[in-house]
Amino acid sequence: MEAGRNHSCGAGCSHHHPPPDSGRPSPALLEVRDVSVDYEDRAVLTDISFNLHKGDFGCLIGPNGAGKSTLLKTMMGLVTPTRGKVISHARQIGYVPQQLPLDPGLPLTVAEFLSLKLTQSRFWFGAPKRGAQRARIEAQLDEIGAAHLIDRRLGRLSGGEFQRVLVAYSLLNDPDLLLLDEPLTGVDIRGGFSFDGLLHHLHEHRGITILMVSHDLHLVEHLSDVVFCINRDLCCHGRPDVVLRPDNLAKAYGHMPGMVPDAGGTAFIPIRNIR
Amino acid sequence: MDWFLEFLDLPQMRYAFLVALIAGPLGGLLGSFITLRGMSFFSDAISHGAMTGVTLGFALNLARDVGDPAMQLTLVVFCVGMALFMAWVLERTTLHADTVIAFTYTGSVALGVVLISRLRGYRVLEGALFGDILASTAMDVWIMGGLAVLTAGFLAFNLRPLTLAVVQENLAKIEGYNTRRLNYAFVVLIALVIALLLRQLGALLISGLIVVPAAAARVVAGNFRGMLTISAVFGLIGAAVGIFSSYHLDSPTGPTIVLADVVILTLCLIGSSVASIRAARSAQLARQGRTGLIE
Repeated sequence: MEAGRNHSCGAGCSHHHPPPDSGRPSPALLEVRDVSVDYEDRAVLTDISFNLHKGDFGCLIGPNGAGKSTLLKTMMGLVTPTRGKVISHARQIGYVPQQLPLDPGLPLTVAEFLSLKLTQSRFWFGAPKRGAQRARIEAQLDEIGAAHLIDRRLGRLSGGEFQRVLVAYSLLNDPDLLLLDEPLTGVDIRGGFSFDGLLHHLHEHRGITILMVSHDLHLVEHLSDVVFCINRDLCCHGRPDVVLRPDNLAKAYGHMPGMVPDAGGTAFIPIRNIR
Repeated sequence: MDWFLEFLDLPQMRYAFLVALIAGPLGGLLGSFITLRGMSFFSDAISHGAMTGVTLGFALNLARDVGDPAMQLTLVVFCVGMALFMAWVLERTTLHADTVIAFTYTGSVALGVVLISRLRGYRVLEGALFGDILASTAMDVWIMGGLAVLTAGFLAFNLRPLTLAVVQENLAKIEGYNTRRLNYAFVVLIALVIALLLRQLGALLISGLIVVPAAAARVVAGNFRGMLTISAVFGLIGAAVGIFSSYHLDSPTGPTIVLADVVILTLCLIGSSVASIRAARSAQLARQGRTGLIE
């Protein structure tokens, strides 16, 4: 426990108490209250508290092993917190899991995968070739620009295509809150560019509140309006231009291999983006 | 027609034929999920480990031969216990699945061999190693029927969570399914099927009946539902063709069924290679056609 604390970031960059939030007048859609998660004797998360408000585009950042995915899983009820709780006022939560390797020979088609979400009963016997469910699946894929993938096999999709299908899957129950776990890992640069357009569309036009785990600080700065920086505890939170300052990030990340402060010293940016 | 149905004149052939016609599609259906979940090695381990169940049955004087109902019961208890043990160890250890399965199953086989060497020599194991489907009785047909109903019912009732878990276990959990309970139920089902099929097909061949039709279906199926259907149909065809050929070729029945399954798989592999070569060639021709126009 104590050893865990040595690696955490200690005092935050901005007001830690009372429970931080994005400062918007709209009501909290998700309240994280003093959440701690221990795996066996190892503290993964310690006393995390924050609010996510309706209409926010929030990003969770932090180094590898900081507990970002665990926090998202706690919100989905996949992990039970050791202490504290997550209170959701959302009508429906959509969850886009981290991409895990998929059996390339899996004969499940995109239509079948999506129909698994739409079928509410235990009994499922494949995707219908026509009818209301097929139309619903077509419309959902069309919205995210993936209509052409409908009869493709899941295992044969590229990283970016599979990511889109996972987003389509998470949108099928019409969520007002969308949680995305590192949606940009395994996505090529071109895929990445259209993917942030998709997120922008869901946030601005569908009015979906978003909380996304991301490593791409450039994208975080570009998309989000509130950033939560965690390293076991909440180091820092607030508007991206405040949080993404080198001194704050250094507190959370310690050092950041491959990242340098940008020209104005206001943000870390990946070295690959410097020309 | 007489020539065609002549093999059914023998009463033991009739029972064997019915058992095979039920066991084939049953193995195919179950095998689909075993291969999708990457558990072929798991079912292999149970069927080989079952040899120890057989020797235990002899050693404890529970049964006189492999066909004894008491032996079937011993095997059910032993296989289910072994499956639960392996699943439990896998859940709790950081060791790789292959490693856990290998030590459980080699350990079990080793124990079986040590036990049997103190009993009456290896000959008594022959029936358990290679099986004897022609020894099937009316009782076996009933057992097989019950097993088929159980398997089909389990898969139908759990098709949605099982399929979601194949993509990612968390997706099934989010829909409110208890994936842990489902995993345990699934390994118990595998153990039951293997324990009750051991006498017909033998420890060395059961895996063939389970894995081969599923693998063939996976090669040719266009979607998930298609794979399940084709796998069951291939299982049925393999069983029918195998029994029929074994009568006319005078070859052992169980191995002939597995050979028929392997022939089906080989044909599917050849067919799909030919199809993909043709597709590549026609794509190339189309490209050449386009460049020809530009020139």
